[in-house]
Amino acid sequence: MGVEHALRPRREESENPMTWSGELLHIHVAPAASMEMEELAEGTLVAGRGIEGDRYLLGTGSYSAKPDIREVTLIEVEVLEALAMGEPKVPGTKATLEPIDHRRNLTTRGVPLNHLVGRRFKVGEVVLKGGRMNFPCKYLEELLGIEGLYEGLLNRSGLNCSIEVGGTIRPGDPIVPLD
Amino acid sequence: MSPRLIMKLDVAEIRREPGDVMVVGLRHPRRPVLPAATAGAHVDVHVPELGVRQYSLCGDPADRSLYRIAVKHEAVGRGGSRWLHETLKAGDALTVSAPRNHFELAEDAARHVLLGGGIGITPLIAMAHALRGAGRPFRLHAFARSRALAPLLDEVERAAGPVGPALHFDDEPASRVDLAALLATPEPGTHVYCCGPAGFMEAVRRATAEWPEEQVHFEAFAPLLDAEFVARPFAIRLASSGDVLPVPAESSALAVLRERGIALPSSCEIGVCGSCECGVLAGEPIHRDVVLSPRARRTRFIPCVSRATGTLHLDL
Repeated sequence: MGVEHALRPRREESENPMTWSGELLHIHVAPAASMEMEELAEGTLVAGRGIEGDRYLLGTGSYSAKPDIREVTLIEVEVLEALAMGEPKVPGTKATLEPIDHRRNLTTRGVPLNHLVGRRFKVGEVVLKGGRMNFPCKYLEELLGIEGLYEGLLNRSGLNCSIEVGGTIRPGDPIVPLD
Repeated sequence: MSPRLIMKLDVAEIRREPGDVMVVGLRHPRRPVLPAATAGAHVDVHVPELGVRQYSLCGDPADRSLYRIAVKHEAVGRGGSRWLHETLKAGDALTVSAPRNHFELAEDAARHVLLGGGIGITPLIAMAHALRGAGRPFRLHAFARSRALAPLLDEVERAAGPVGPALHFDDEPASRVDLAALLATPEPGTHVYCCGPAGFMEAVRRATAEWPEEQVHFEAFAPLLDAEFVARPFAIRLASSGDVLPVPAESSALAVLRERGIALPSSCEIGVCGSCECGVLAGEPIHRDVVLSPRARRTRFIPCVSRATGTLHLDL
């Protein structure tokens, strides 16, 4: 049944609008690779480029030279909460990963990031489009010295996005689907 | 090399010590606990406009609330210590990396002999704290020109514990010790650690010439002050393409590789951090770094400072 369901062709997106709504909790930027993140009360997103003050707008990130879109990266606070509890039991990584440490730009609540690949959504006045799912890296594990963090973030490491419409965002802004 | 988190830390305290030394205590503005450091570790301090400078941590590694570094004002240096001495004040922010260690205590050693000359005593103070905390036998020796010029004597006393340190001052003949006699016989299980001015390290190197190299450890932070060295042109050959690239006397292998679009990671560019390390397959390298162990030098190369005679084959 499950397999059959998964293989069923997806209905036209217009017939099947997503109905979730979430919230922006934190905005963080790092001016260069390996620099500790800084929290912002307000972030300026530049369409097609990145967040002002962030390494991926400045071209100084660890992955700046690598293909893929990384104008802004997001992660779910629910993942951080699960990690803090050591869930799921396999691989069972139990770690405190603070929003300032995960090195994604935006921390969200109530947003199904893994389902937004290829879809557009709004964060406050800004429109983002989901690129690839973020893949965890040993770099972060080594940087923070948290053993098992790489495995702990597999399949829930967040979403890399492009910025279709820029603007200013603040913690508390609603996040809603567009298609 | 593994990456390290770079943090903006608060200058929590500044204290002046004899011998033109300034002790700087650094705390994180938001986190009570800093990334862990093992004894002997150093941090990279990012000096505005000048770049990265390495300083050993001299506090007790068990205290993770504070990093403590000691900076000697080097009148003939590259300007980093001068900037710190003249500009830095309590309450300022200083950009500092998480610690890295090229000067680790040997886990399996039965006994440790710690030899620090002048400001070079800093990593050995941290080592003494760690060894005393773990109840492992050690002897801390501090060498200085005179008692009046010796920095960090209070810290040395505290770290050495009830046995006390062995203090050696050039101008107090009774306190002086003959390194050759002190280190005359290699003892199985005894490890020697040394940090200090070039002449002092050279004396320890000579005194330990008969020791197994694994039992003697050196930490140095000033490789390019070797005024005698004359850089000559050489060439590097890349294993992947077979290309042979000339390295002019005034350039480095790292710079030549960078121009060629081969961007190795790099940080200090004075041969102390190890970021740009690569493999060497054949040739006659002239190792000028202070990162690679004698064993590693057989197969590895630090292209920011090291050079070669003729053509060096790199595993790139």
